[in-house]
Amino acid sequence: MAFWNEIGSRVTYLFRRSRFDRELQEEIRLHIQARADELELAGLSGADALLRARREFGSTLRTREETRSAWQIRWLEDLGSDLRFAARALWRNLTLTLAAVGSLALGIGANTTIFSVAREALFSEPSCRDAKSLVQISVSGNTWVPMSQYRLLQDAHAFDGLAGMNIQMVANWRDGSRSYRLAGTRVTGNFFEVVGIPVAMGRPIERGESDVAVITHGFWTKHLGGDPNVVGRTLALDGKPYTVVGVLPRDHRMLAGFGFTPDLYLTKDSGEVMLYARLPRGMTRQAAYARFKPICRELDRVYPDVNRKWAQEIRLSAVGGVERLQEEGQFAIPLVAFFAMLVIVTGIVMLIACANVSSLLLARAFTRSREFAIRMSLGGSRSRLVRQLLAESLLLALLGTVAGLLLNLWLTRLLSGLHIPTPLPIELLIQPDRVLLVYSVGIAFVVTLATGLVPALKGTGAGIGGALKEGGRQAGPAGYTLRNALVVGQLAVSILLLSAGLLFIRNLMYATSFNAGFDTTHTVTAIFQTVGGSYTPRKFAALVDTALARLRALPGVEAASPASAVPLNPFLAFNRPGGQFRPDAGSRTVRVEYNSNSVGPDYFRIMGIPIQQGRAFLDSDRVGAPEVVILNENMARRLFGNTNPVGHVLRFPDNRDARVVGIARNSKYVTLGEENALALYAPFSQQNYAVFAHFFVRTRGAPETMVRNVDQTLGDLDPAAAVETWDMRDIFAGALLPSRVGAAILGSMALFGLMLASIGLYGVLLYAIQQRIREIGIRVALGATPGNILAMVTGQSLRLVTAGVGIGLAVAVVAVRPLSMFLVPEVRPADPMNFVAVAGVLSLVAGLATVAPTARALRVDPAVALRHE
Amino acid sequence: MGSNSIPELLPGTLYLLILRTLSRGPLHGYAIVKRIKDASREGLQIEDGSLYPALNRMLVKGWLTSEWGVSENHRKARFYRLTPQGRKQLDQEAGEFDRLVRAIQLVMRTA
Repeated sequence: MAFWNEIGSRVTYLFRRSRFDRELQEEIRLHIQARADELELAGLSGADALLRARREFGSTLRTREETRSAWQIRWLEDLGSDLRFAARALWRNLTLTLAAVGSLALGIGANTTIFSVAREALFSEPSCRDAKSLVQISVSGNTWVPMSQYRLLQDAHAFDGLAGMNIQMVANWRDGSRSYRLAGTRVTGNFFEVVGIPVAMGRPIERGESDVAVITHGFWTKHLGGDPNVVGRTLALDGKPYTVVGVLPRDHRMLAGFGFTPDLYLTKDSGEVMLYARLPRGMTRQAAYARFKPICRELDRVYPDVNRKWAQEIRLSAVGGVERLQEEGQFAIPLVAFFAMLVIVTGIVMLIACANVSSLLLARAFTRSREFAIRMSLGGSRSRLVRQLLAESLLLALLGTVAGLLLNLWLTRLLSGLHIPTPLPIELLIQPDRVLLVYSVGIAFVVTLATGLVPALKGTGAGIGGALKEGGRQAGPAGYTLRNALVVGQLAVSILLLSAGLLFIRNLMYATSFNAGFDTTHTVTAIFQTVGGSYTPRKFAALVDTALARLRALPGVEAASPASAVPLNPFLAFNRPGGQFRPDAGSRTVRVEYNSNSVGPDYFRIMGIPIQQGRAFLDSDRVGAPEVVILNENMARRLFGNTNPVGHVLRFPDNRDARVVGIARNSKYVTLGEENALALYAPFSQQNYAVFAHFFVRTRGAPETMVRNVDQTLGDLDPAAAVETWDMRDIFAGALLPSRVGAAILGSMALFGLMLASIGLYGVLLYAIQQRIREIGIRVALGATPGNILAMVTGQSLRLVTAGVGIGLAVAVVAVRPLSMFLVPEVRPADPMNFVAVAGVLSLVAGLATVAPTARALRVDPAVALRHE
Repeated sequence: MGSNSIPELLPGTLYLLILRTLSRGPLHGYAIVKRIKDASREGLQIEDGSLYPALNRMLVKGWLTSEWGVSENHRKARFYRLTPQGRKQLDQEAGEFDRLVRAIQLVMRTA
């Protein structure tokens, strides 16, 4: 308490210094006057009395100084004057300051932006009441349970509340004459109550309700025009009317995390759900587990099921933050690794920028070493000088950080509004927060030390005598060595960045060239989803046939085919079934996991996937005809070895038999990064589909002009069905997104790093030459040829570049290895060509950076140089 | 902070003397010096130069407050007044000082 009072009065003092000084001076004057009055009473004359009183008091200046220091917060005032001094110094070199602040800002902006995005995508807390006491439950090793099981668990009352949610639902929304696919999350009636999700308008879904919906802010603004009277409005979803009861706030973050944002929440009564439980106040997850386990055992006893034991593999996991990430391991690790890599790369760029600034400050510190020596000889302490020099880098770091944060705000705002081109509804809402501020303060601190510490220590390190004697003209060998080391470090790190950047750019080039085993340049793809239960398989098959006939009749259409999956789209993708297959229905079994797609006869032609052996499907491969399959080359080799499997019979894990009629060339199925993936195709018309199909249409001309026609044709078939039609290349944008982001960020960071490093090299060479102008002048005067001078300058550059490239390559060869996890298998991090190219580019740029300093050295006129001071 | 105390005084006793002097009522700087000099029968002389730094350190600590007023011979002067916190400090320091002096006297007589 007393401590804070004291701080308080000291701070008040800061703002009233001049008044305080005036009053103190007055008080001292009155004190002396009072003494003089007394002396005068004792018999002295007025003038003598005053003189004596003054003498007795002593130095009023010293008293005032000491009195003031009782109030001062010494270091704060020192810092203030240091910063003012630093600001003046920086202002005088405005161009250099702007360059330094600018490069720091770019590095810091990039780094904090990645940090913000990663934090939002990976570590954000979901919108709910008290996330700590909310857990996600899995029983029998499964996060999904049927509704019937959910009801049994709920009746057991193990927790303060148990709610279910299903995020994988699609709802057809009929709006006027069109239907749209919406990402709907279906929840149990008590979900909002148990989880405690805040609602911006209206009310949440309540216990016991059905056919009501809570819509998200995005859906409300984008699809309903932000209608202020939306509460109470009816939406036709999957052929049933739902009443909108509430709208979620803009910053709603879903329990599922990773930026997943559905269009609406709906009530649910069947199917499967993920379980969320509210733990009683103060109960730990361990205690809840201990309470839950016996309940599951009891359920096992009452409802025995051979296939799943409730009590097996029970897990209660966190719903937010780092803990959730740990539990999502498999899915999250590549994401975390990707962000970690980007943070590291942008951090490295930041350090390169720091090295430039540091080098600059080092040069200045050495040119000022004479001033420092004088100040130290007059009694200035070295720590005071160090602090003053650090103030300069602190100011630069602060300016850089503020500018970087502005960049961050702009970029994250841009990213927040961005529609990420994936079929999954992913939206990131990035807002600046305290964590970002703390992180930035940390960065500013690191930057201050990284840029300022070495120059401050080295710059003031020269002894008083030495610096004065040398006349402050020479920077001394220590300065050269350090700056050279900084440049070598920058060049080495640039090599590392360039190697990574080049890999990602090659990766993108490879990915965009669609060497994925099929051709998408003339393909339109549509998702066609009917309302569940409105068709029998037979009627649905007839509908698909009609659709194909109408599509083929469109002008400009070459071929059309149905399919159950769209390649390279993890979200519309393949089932990945697996099991024991028996080739030739024999006793030998082969266990495989493969990508499964059901396609029409023209699918292979449309996609440009050649049938290597045998035939494609025919119209006659229908329900009732013998079952047939086509394998890809990998699958054929796995099942049949080197024998030609065409004509052979394959027995499925469920003991169906199918005849292999063809071998299709290998292609990519789920990701561009997969290698040696297996695939099995079955005829679409031999399956009993009743709800859902994709259509692939090959166009003669540009596909984008056909998107509307295809969409219209399919929409007319069944107005209740939701249809989404895309140019196939757009669908691939999702698959390409990681490559694009990686190439864009790493490419630009590598270029930026290279630029900074070359500026660093240029600066050091030029400075070295300026320091040696006299020496060069003497050499020229003594008969050195321009060739000698050229050799001298380029020699220095060459030594630096060689050292940098050598160290950089040695580090890069090892450091880029782990990047293979982000790259298609065809781009190999160990490829020596990468390193050759990178070293070449760096040497070229370094050569350019050497030109101007060399020219300066060659222009040295001995007559002028010898007078150079 | 202790480096500015008067050599003749035991370290830290300057505060104690000022606090005690002001405990009878507010005084201005010169009056404090005079009061201490008189009370000690000229045995103690506070240097004018160290009075004001000490007073101001005590202001910072919140033991004293100050206000401008008019002195006994009708001159403007700044009067210092003890705060409740200062009074508490005086009691504590006076107690400690008594114990210290008694202990020293004990040693001087018996050892």
